[in-house]
Amino acid sequence: MSGSLLSFAGVTGGYGATTVVRGVGGAVAAGEACCVLGRNGVGKTTLMRLLTGHLPLQSGTVDFAGRSLDGLAPDRRHRLGLVYCPQERPVFDNLSVRDNLGLMEPFDAHRHAPLLAAFPILEARMDQSAGTLSGGERKILSFVRGVAETGQLLLLDEPSEGVQQENVERMAGFLHEAKAAGRALLVVEQNLAFAREIADRVMVMDHGAVVLAGAAADITEDTLAAHMHV
Amino acid sequence: MDPILTTNVLNVVYEVSTLAVVVLGLAVVFGLLGVMNLAHGEFVMIGAYCAFFVQAHDLPFLAAVPLALLVCGFLGLVVERVLVRPLYARPFDTLLATWGLGMLLREAVEAVYGRGFRSVATPLTGSVEVLGADYPAYRLLLTLVSVALVAGLVWWFVRSATGRRIRAVVNNPELAASVGIPVTALARNTFVFGCGLAALSGVMLAPLLPVNPTLGLDFILKSFFVLVVGGLGSLVGLISGSGVIGGVESVVSAVSDRTWGYTTVLVIAILFLWLRPNGLFPRT
Repeated sequence: MSGSLLSFAGVTGGYGATTVVRGVGGAVAAGEACCVLGRNGVGKTTLMRLLTGHLPLQSGTVDFAGRSLDGLAPDRRHRLGLVYCPQERPVFDNLSVRDNLGLMEPFDAHRHAPLLAAFPILEARMDQSAGTLSGGERKILSFVRGVAETGQLLLLDEPSEGVQQENVERMAGFLHEAKAAGRALLVVEQNLAFAREIADRVMVMDHGAVVLAGAAADITEDTLAAHMHV
Repeated sequence: MDPILTTNVLNVVYEVSTLAVVVLGLAVVFGLLGVMNLAHGEFVMIGAYCAFFVQAHDLPFLAAVPLALLVCGFLGLVVERVLVRPLYARPFDTLLATWGLGMLLREAVEAVYGRGFRSVATPLTGSVEVLGADYPAYRLLLTLVSVALVAGLVWWFVRSATGRRIRAVVNNPELAASVGIPVTALARNTFVFGCGLAALSGVMLAPLLPVNPTLGLDFILKSFFVLVVGGLGSLVGLISGSGVIGGVESVVSAVSDRTWGYTTVLVIAILFLWLRPNGLFPRT
């Protein structure tokens, strides 16, 4: 798609000989958020892992800022500007909260200050091992790590999972700020309210394929719920 | 202090610290890559032959250090790329492949130098008085260098940015790649580093050992015992395992003979495999 920061077409892939995602296409422009919705097990996380290079494509193309990502390892994609916060094991359990935030660049209190002020639970546990955090707190730590990075594209896999509602609302605020700063967001979500709060466009997946896509404002909640079978 | 007791205590410290240096390279490679490099002992052996080579060519003993690092570093680079990297996800195949590599290296050295023992002259002769006991100066220097090396590496691993990244890769390789850590390059460098440490320990130990192509077999077995007792994948485990195996072998050998010392550590390793298979300090 012209003007898109990330565009992908015919993305097909899975685990070994098992194909999970079939022919998925989409695009995200700078300053835009696209939410990928769907029930458990429909291939949302597999799609994220294909886009970030953690799984090889069986077929299809992925372009970022006009450049093909074909064959690039995840760390190379990160250096180009793809920031990925995975759903499972989102933090380094054996490192402190501070080291999780300062792994690639020294921890910068100034850069992290607004995020830590919004999520004081992390600031209180800076020197604690991330492995001792609750599931929701790990998600917050992963979110803070991703948002604080400077990459142009944020790929978040279920950032609100297990997070208290007040913190989900704070996350939405930071994602609006990221969009305003020109960053692009591709967010996998099951929390419809959160998705509707941040999304400009939505893609609904079922059985590894996109079954509904369009501008978030044009799709009613009932239509979304019907396609997600909720 | 009783001079005999002092000598025995120094011998224990010597055994433990030098064993820790030998095992460190093996443990770092296993911790990061999940690869048990059964050719590790052969890299120690090649390091020892580098010491023999420089002395045979009338070069200073210290020239063996860069030579061994270069030879084993280059070998490690090739082995990681050609043999180990394609087998990362297949630990049993890696065991077989590195065992085969060890045999190949032994045969290659034998083809050049023959089966016979070679001796390397001690670069530091004489003895030093320590608490009333005369102790060989080179053994004392080796002990100090080994302690400093292990302590320095542990400090670097815990405090440096690269050490944190290695720990991140050990904990969660997929996330590590996602945050921009070049996991493949780090794995390659770690393997080369492990081979380099083995080579360095080979150079250091060469003047105290009969240098021969099978020298590495003894070290790989002892290293294996250390990891069984201490636990795989933790530095505390490595140091405690070295303490138990090196310490027990040294003490039992001193009060009896080396055969009993070796038999005792073998029994300890079997007991650990049987009763505490994860060792004293397994990685959590």
